[in-house]
Amino acid sequence: MDIKDLIALGDKLLYIDEAKFRQIVELLEQMGDHPDIQRTIAVIRPRMVELRIHRRPTMKRLFCDPFEDLFEALDSAAPLPLSVIERTLMNSLWPLVEEKIGRAKLKGYHGALHDGPQRDNIADAFWMDAAEVMAGLSAGSEAGRFDGAMELRLNPDRVRAIADIATILSIAPEIRDLKAVLSPKPVTKLHKDHIDGVRDIGRKVARARPEALKIFVLVAAARLSNPSILLGGLHDMDFGQKPAERGKLLMELTDTVVGQIEDRSRSLKATPDAVPDRLAVADLAVDLVASLDATRNAVELTRNKAFDQRLKEVRHSIHDMVKTQVIADADSGIVTAVARLTGGTNDKAQLLEAENQARALRKCATIADSLGLRGELKTVTQKATGSLTDQARKALAAGPTGSTSRAGFTAIRMIELLSGPAEANKLMDEILSKGPR
Amino acid sequence: MRSLTNFAPSTFEERGAAVAFTTPVLAQTRVRKDSREQLEVLIPNLSEGRGIYVVPWKSLPLAFPMTAHDRMLHDLIAKGEGCSPDDIRKAVLSAARCGLAGPHAVEAAEAALGDDEEQRLLINYQLIVEALKSAGLESTDILRAGLASAEGQKLTRDLMSKAAGKLGMDPPELYARIAELAGYMESIGLATSPKPARLRRLMRDLNSFRDSMTEWATDNVSEAAPIGGFCAEVAEHTVNHARNVMTQLDQSVAAFETLLRQWDVKRGVVRKATTRLSWLLDGWEYLIVLWADAVTRSRHEQDMAVNEIFRVIPLLPRDEARIELALAAEKLLSNNRRSVRAYVDWRSGQLDVDLVMRIETIKGRAA
Repeated sequence: MDIKDLIALGDKLLYIDEAKFRQIVELLEQMGDHPDIQRTIAVIRPRMVELRIHRRPTMKRLFCDPFEDLFEALDSAAPLPLSVIERTLMNSLWPLVEEKIGRAKLKGYHGALHDGPQRDNIADAFWMDAAEVMAGLSAGSEAGRFDGAMELRLNPDRVRAIADIATILSIAPEIRDLKAVLSPKPVTKLHKDHIDGVRDIGRKVARARPEALKIFVLVAAARLSNPSILLGGLHDMDFGQKPAERGKLLMELTDTVVGQIEDRSRSLKATPDAVPDRLAVADLAVDLVASLDATRNAVELTRNKAFDQRLKEVRHSIHDMVKTQVIADADSGIVTAVARLTGGTNDKAQLLEAENQARALRKCATIADSLGLRGELKTVTQKATGSLTDQARKALAAGPTGSTSRAGFTAIRMIELLSGPAEANKLMDEILSKGPR
Repeated sequence: MRSLTNFAPSTFEERGAAVAFTTPVLAQTRVRKDSREQLEVLIPNLSEGRGIYVVPWKSLPLAFPMTAHDRMLHDLIAKGEGCSPDDIRKAVLSAARCGLAGPHAVEAAEAALGDDEEQRLLINYQLIVEALKSAGLESTDILRAGLASAEGQKLTRDLMSKAAGKLGMDPPELYARIAELAGYMESIGLATSPKPARLRRLMRDLNSFRDSMTEWATDNVSEAAPIGGFCAEVAEHTVNHARNVMTQLDQSVAAFETLLRQWDVKRGVVRKATTRLSWLLDGWEYLIVLWADAVTRSRHEQDMAVNEIFRVIPLLPRDEARIELALAAEKLLSNNRRSVRAYVDWRSGQLDVDLVMRIETIKGRAA
């Protein structure tokens, strides 16, 4: 197959059967590191991750191994790492690293790509070399400048990412141990063995390169399903630092975690052009409140008041999001969709939207107390349930086989989605036992 | 993990017919009649416990919180006459149609009922053509005039009277036999049909399910792989049985003249074969769609789907299968125990709305 044909396939590759997909990935790998191939791989990467395709080991892949957890997430729903490294940046950096180390010397490191007793030692030596090169690049990088060698404009994030890569490579052997402790990724709950493992490796890092401890913890957080879990866990970890240093590290981390929650809380803002799906907003809100509570508990342990205001603001922003995008007008949306059925129209799209509204309201019931929205949610739910009950009674007055019975049953379904099956069943029994059943 | 597989029914009636409930713990559980002809339901995997819970049908709403749709379905089945797969399907479609399982279910149920109606017309026409053919008469004129038109119907009546004469029976007798046969064959259709009927389509899909599951289980290192392999094996046995029954049935119908002449003897054979087919393929629609949905998802979700399929897989009864599938399933279970499966939201103990929504979507596609 010609390279052009393969690239032309683009996202169609996401839908071909698994065996063929694996073959094509193998083929692409053999074709080398051409920019077109990199683009195609970028398109199909989510599926490669999904299928856990074992990629051919290369020096570039070995170079990325210590910091791969910080690459931007492929799934938009997945939480971002607390400190992100762009893949494009890495792609620009690798040729420079390759050049600086020298092809002849790199060849000597090829033993790290194959199983064998010397593998780890060779890999450590390679990372050490790569760390030195990266430290040089980091020292010469300046924000705002266009870097000719990298063919990239260096913004502050990229300058920070280059420095992070240099630091991570300098503690690459410890990161390898950390990955073994926190695996398989993502870890959803921190158990004692996780905490002990991270603490022991963290102590080693704190002794040898104290400045690398923060990024080490960020890599650890990136291996968790929710980075804020680690904040709570950190209080049980003593890295052997002085109290002031420990406090500073915790502050920095909390700052990063809170910053991320702030960013996420802004991610689903309604704009005049697009209103996000209510159910998606409800899911995000439930998730954010969980992160917020975990962070709050961790912050309380530090007795540091600095974050209280920021956390309050985040809670306020979630409160607004739920209020304006889930609760507002939910009752009329649901009731109108059902009323239309009585009129004989069968607007499926509107009905499905109303179902999503009802589900979103019910989801938000679990966080309403913590957001101080219990009263408003209750009012909207009661109002909707009341109108729906009236609609159901009216539509089912002629019995379950009457001409308007579907509208009646749909109203009962909405009540079920809003308030649970017990309420809906009670109403259905009450209406149908009176009428000609 | 427990499953319906650890009880080994002898007959289809003992196995029961699958009911498309949307309450997660009750999804695809089976209903049957007890020794006093009262309905009862078999619930596997309750709280990961051993064995199968047998609950009287009437007590089901008291024992489990059910969705409003399931309450309606429960009521319709209780009021219905029987609990064969066809009876259950009828109840499931009318419950879905009322709107309690959402607009997708309404649409799917109406499409299924429309398809049934279309098949009914098609099979009637095809059987009339077969009857005329066996009497040596041409049927193209009817087609030209249209079966539903007055002219077409008159032409059909005339030709059928002639055919009845040639076959040596009264026209009403011939009509009655064809109508009865059409009733039996409605869900299967004729082998020569331009549009395969429901059970033929289902058999084809079950074949694909087996292939897809076998492919998935081969070279797969997941713990669910042996379970997937077993599911593929059950599908294979079911397909083989169904294919045998279908072939015999097609042969009987192909010899149409003999079938009509020896109706008193042959009707029993046809009825038995069609009933057996509907029992054999009962419960697979949902599992096929569940799997088709899972193959596009992550590995973990595929493992979960395989376990869910295994939980309610329709094993062939002992009297049908030459090999002991229940024994094989029990062996598999002892090697693959799982600990926790949640059907409820672990925080609130309430119904898991996302899970109900997923079941409703799959049910919509499987109708």
